[in-house]
Amino acid sequence: MDDLQRIRSEMHRELNRPGERPAQSIGITRRTFLHRSLTAGAAAGAATYGWFPLINTIDVAHAQQTFKFAWVSDTHLYPKNVNTRFVEKATRAVKEAQAMSPAADFLIFGGDLAQLGDPVELDLGNDILKEVKIKKVFIPGEHDWYLDMGKKWESLFGKQPWTFDHKGVRFVGLDTVSRGPDYWTAKKMTPKQRMGHMATLDGSVAGAWAGVGRDQLEWLNRTLSGWAKDKPVIIFTHNPLYEYYPPWNFWVRDWREVHEVLRPYSNVTNVHGHTHQVLYNEIGKLRSIGMLATSWPWPYAPEGVPVLTTPMVRADPGDHFDGVGWAKLTAGGPKVENEYVMWRKDIFAEAAVDSGTGDNVNQVLTPRIADREWPYYGAHK
Amino acid sequence: MNRTRYALVALIGALALVLVVAFEGERALAHKEKHTPAQLKAFEEVFMEQVKLGDLLFHGDEATEKKLNVQLSKTGMACAMCHPFASDNHPHEFPKFQEQMNKFATLRDMINWCIEKPNEGVKIDPDSDAMKALETYIIWSNKGSKLDAGRH
Repeated sequence: MDDLQRIRSEMHRELNRPGERPAQSIGITRRTFLHRSLTAGAAAGAATYGWFPLINTIDVAHAQQTFKFAWVSDTHLYPKNVNTRFVEKATRAVKEAQAMSPAADFLIFGGDLAQLGDPVELDLGNDILKEVKIKKVFIPGEHDWYLDMGKKWESLFGKQPWTFDHKGVRFVGLDTVSRGPDYWTAKKMTPKQRMGHMATLDGSVAGAWAGVGRDQLEWLNRTLSGWAKDKPVIIFTHNPLYEYYPPWNFWVRDWREVHEVLRPYSNVTNVHGHTHQVLYNEIGKLRSIGMLATSWPWPYAPEGVPVLTTPMVRADPGDHFDGVGWAKLTAGGPKVENEYVMWRKDIFAEAAVDSGTGDNVNQVLTPRIADREWPYYGAHK
Repeated sequence: MNRTRYALVALIGALALVLVVAFEGERALAHKEKHTPAQLKAFEEVFMEQVKLGDLLFHGDEATEKKLNVQLSKTGMACAMCHPFASDNHPHEFPKFQEQMNKFATLRDMINWCIEKPNEGVKIDPDSDAMKALETYIIWSNKGSKLDAGRH
């Protein structure tokens, strides 16, 4: 067993103590039962393979009344003259969220509105989001931030972190993108170069940029300190609050500290973007649900996919509405449901061989190499 | 008549023997040449040069595209945006029947399909420097994967 495996094993033992699970009050619904049986390998019928991720059902004790909210994220807009496809899909998601019946109480935009942080892209996104007349809240993604270090983003959408209470649920929005290490000053990068490296998911230059940070951890601790330990908390973040696949920043680097802060609370759900795929995980008492992008789906990482995730089908690259979409969430008395609105529902896998992870058998990957050289290889040759 | 025929056969046999000896001798000599560390390093450098070139093309490096006179995308999308670490490319599964093209396809066919369809770029010559570099990067990135040609 190597050091990394040993540390992970110790963390697993520490966080998943006997009897330690999210919200003891949670009932196992039929849908959850189906999911469990599938992950356990029991025969639940081939036709249901991959069906469960459409709906996650979580009981929330103490919520006062049922209400809905919508999640849209990862629109990755380019200027219209470069790419109209992403504009089309972002617009569709926003219109559908606005048309929800019963109406959503609010919309959370979960980051990566822009592709390269260009003010033109952010303004375009802001215009599209103006179609939504209900309350809107925002958290940034790394693509929104690193051209001007969040200036344009904050001028349009305000600052993070934030919190509000709604019908018995405490909502929290964290910024997991702006506390990356300074990889640009010593190399005298232009803002565009800095943004370019940040916008490359499999790049090595920006390093482990995803993090909550000491200041937000302290803020989170204070914010939750007056909240009953068993009352529902929903935390919105761009990156997942656990370690899925660090090379693509499918994590926050200080996730262990986040879990320490959240440990006393038994009813916490993290809803996150960035991974562009169906994901579900539980660590200790924290549940995490990964959201779809409207732009394009990422492949599942070669390792680290939570065993509780039933993966979505591998997407057809010839159909740009495949494997993408947004989400409707219902919270309150007493359930929270997450419904993925995937625009091609009929392509969910009916067999493991068609699933996004099943397709990755036999695959061994090596991280990219050209960005390990500086000055940037190629452009200077 | 018979003597003439025997002489002809003998001549042909002798010629064949000379050819075989000459050919085998040359091949034997080629195989006897030991590779020097400098040679091996040079082979590796040639390979890695292609890997790096392919990496840049795969990640949408404009300068490299310009240098090789190719336009792999007109949507702003680069190959790596759907295939980080060249994942989900499965070079070890080609050649195979590829549904999108409805034909038996090589990796180069698939690369060109992705350039032309999702990326809305301009197809490249299957034997071009750009194609060789892209293919090299994808295969290098998947080094160690289990060869499983034809798998869907």
